[in-house]
Amino acid sequence: MTILNERPTTSALGPEARKQVRRSHLGRTAVKWLTSTDHKTIGYMYIIMSTIFFMAAGLMALVIRAELAVPGLQFVSLEQYNQMFTMHGTIMLFLFATPLFVGFGNVIMPLQIGAPDVAFPRLNMLGFWLFFFGGMTVCVSFLTPGGSASFGWFAYSPLSSIVNSPQVGADLWILGLATGGLGTILGGVNFITTIFCMRAPGMTMFRMPIFTWTILVTSVLVLLAFPVLAASLVVLFADRKFGTVVFNSENGGAILWQHLFWFFGHPEVYILALPFFGIASEIIPVFSRKPVFGYKGLVLATMSIGALSVAVWAHHMYVTGSVYLPFFAFMTMLIAVPTGVKFFNWIGTMWRGSLSFDTPMLWTMGFLVTFLFGGLTGIILSAPPLDFHVSDSYFIVAHFHYTVFGTVVFMFFAGLYFWWPKMTGRMLNEKLGKIHFWTLFIGFQTTFLVQHWLGVEGMPRRYGDYLESDGFTTLNTVSSIGAAILGLSMIFFLWNVFSTWKNAPLVTVDDPWGYGASLEWATSCPPPRHNFTSLPRIRSERPVWDMNHPEHSSVSPVARKAAVSTALGGSSEGTSS
Amino acid sequence: MARPTAPRRKAKFLAAAAVAAVTLTLSGCSLNEALFFNLPEPATTEGAGIANLWQGAWIAAWCVGLVTWALMLWASFMYLRRWRRNRDMPVQTAYNVPLELLYTLVPLVMIVGLFLFTIREQTPVIAVENNQKETVNVVGFRWSWGFNYVDQKVYDVGTPGVLPTLWLPVDEKVKFELTSPDVIHSFWIPDFLFKMDVIPGKMNVFELTPNRVGTFIGRCAELCGTYHSQMLFNVKVVTRAEFDQHMLGLEAQGQTGMLPSGITTGERESEGKNL
Repeated sequence: MTILNERPTTSALGPEARKQVRRSHLGRTAVKWLTSTDHKTIGYMYIIMSTIFFMAAGLMALVIRAELAVPGLQFVSLEQYNQMFTMHGTIMLFLFATPLFVGFGNVIMPLQIGAPDVAFPRLNMLGFWLFFFGGMTVCVSFLTPGGSASFGWFAYSPLSSIVNSPQVGADLWILGLATGGLGTILGGVNFITTIFCMRAPGMTMFRMPIFTWTILVTSVLVLLAFPVLAASLVVLFADRKFGTVVFNSENGGAILWQHLFWFFGHPEVYILALPFFGIASEIIPVFSRKPVFGYKGLVLATMSIGALSVAVWAHHMYVTGSVYLPFFAFMTMLIAVPTGVKFFNWIGTMWRGSLSFDTPMLWTMGFLVTFLFGGLTGIILSAPPLDFHVSDSYFIVAHFHYTVFGTVVFMFFAGLYFWWPKMTGRMLNEKLGKIHFWTLFIGFQTTFLVQHWLGVEGMPRRYGDYLESDGFTTLNTVSSIGAAILGLSMIFFLWNVFSTWKNAPLVTVDDPWGYGASLEWATSCPPPRHNFTSLPRIRSERPVWDMNHPEHSSVSPVARKAAVSTALGGSSEGTSS
Repeated sequence: MARPTAPRRKAKFLAAAAVAAVTLTLSGCSLNEALFFNLPEPATTEGAGIANLWQGAWIAAWCVGLVTWALMLWASFMYLRRWRRNRDMPVQTAYNVPLELLYTLVPLVMIVGLFLFTIREQTPVIAVENNQKETVNVVGFRWSWGFNYVDQKVYDVGTPGVLPTLWLPVDEKVKFELTSPDVIHSFWIPDFLFKMDVIPGKMNVFELTPNRVGTFIGRCAELCGTYHSQMLFNVKVVTRAEFDQHMLGLEAQGQTGMLPSGITTGERESEGKNL
């Protein structure tokens, strides 16, 4: 309400004065944001920075795809190519997807549990600035004489040793990631404390929205995985600069690094995936007008995925000849079970619902369709004899883009379109959003589907060039055309943000989608500084639904009466499923 | 703007599906290539089992995928509010425990099945029985390959510019000993459907029996620095007579003895034990 009242005052002024006002607003806004400890503002800063990093790493991907479109070197040298894919992977994983989870967690999670802020607002702020400066440290390595790190995002020893990678860019890469990693750890601590200690009265653990559950499990994974990464990076730095010999290959350091890195690296994949599964679990019920199907099973599946994810790291090492294959194969295959449960929960939520494909739901369908295929190739890869052939090939590249891009990017946009009114007070344009989706979807499938064939036919990953006689040209060209379409889709998004910022009317209701269930839809768009002026009674896992649709609530007497009459009548369809 | 009616929309979707199917057929890729991603025909005895497992696993995966995609799309279209009247507020079903148990247990059973098949195919592929006819010590270095024919006491070595060729006798079991003097590489011959990492400070061992005469390409599959993509080699699987002749040729060129393998001989003979 306050925002609506503020607006007309500026339009009453003349153009000069208005410019003045805007300028002073700009300065004040900048100071307000830079010094903010508000979880929402910090969350917005995380999301904005992640988006910038996403576009930067996306441009690198376009350079990679341009280089690979035809045989021969056209745009970059082999060394620059190695820097491109190293930084593409590093930025996408550490500076886009991971902080994006922290961003969404910051903005939405306290709202969903009815908290006024996170438990440690200043720690939260510190975490953001550690991420920001860590990320900048990684990125400025491009400006150093030797260029940035070029040993791939998993920095296998001894390729990452001072002998094999002497450039200072590698040191910046190591220290930048260690700094950013510390920021992520602090974020994890903050989330766990907030969820355990700051839930509103009535918000029991088993009434928390699924998104909040995924943030909790993800934060536990962060605490398990990121300290290992940070420690390994610091030791690697000591090896490079102070002459320690921990990762020397004579001491078995080559395999030691792989174990340490993947003990972080595999949970990391689920740190990226789980929160975005959570977003899907928030969006599908709203656009199906039903509760999420099998809530407790979904929570259990989330916890199982979290638990299993720390026991599968060596499936990245099947071809090293150094791991006990049957154990890691079985654990890896087991992950398919809880992941499958999630799929059926999502489909079950849609089943016999009342569906509408507004942009958030459309993006979520894009995620479901895409991620399913990534899951299927994952099952294939979990079998060591099959992995031997396609490991480190383009099949792997295709697989992890279907899983990680399919989850993170599709659900990133789904979440943005879904919560944009909550964050900014304005809706994004539906038509532009749908054009954005379809160009990105078609671009993505064209880019990555064909890479499965490339990998199976024998194209290794991280090759800056290939021979005419290899027969990889056609598929690579198709893939590069897809990448161009994928890149262009971002224009529609940016245009959407810009034009709605200027023209879209303000949202005046708390729940613009109309069928929200969790507490973020019980406050204004955007929420006031401490989130709520009043809270609805929390008597189920859908407090806002119970408040807005009492006749269909599972806890209200009205609904109970309706259910009884339906059961007695027995004629209405869909009473049993 | 008039919205197309429901049946016309459905017809449109059917037409789109038909167009997609026709395009796929006309593009000339066979069903086999489309479903199984054109796996190279295995050129080793052990590869046949892998190819079978690949095909079986993909058939199962496609079945699971088709059922799940079908359920998704069915739900998307059948329960579309725009297409169905009187469906503004659906029944608020939240749980169906038997169904939930079903979709937990069925995947579990399938996984156990896949695991058993995996183990069955995996065992012969990674078994090291030491009854080989030839032993080759493959030395991966930045950025080419050296091949020490251990039993013949000759070697061959390449450069990124001049690709080395690994000669192998057909239908005879070969033991590969992989060593590296610098960084991690990976020894991959796509037509053998097999690769293994070449790790400094450690010797990896595997045995394969090439069973098809021909020339194949091999590639380094683990990032090893700037010229990673040029670390290629050729593989020639030939008859025993041709193989012996080639060995004599190497000897005549003076390429006798062994290249430094990046690991001392005593360790090399310790049969791939970790250091």
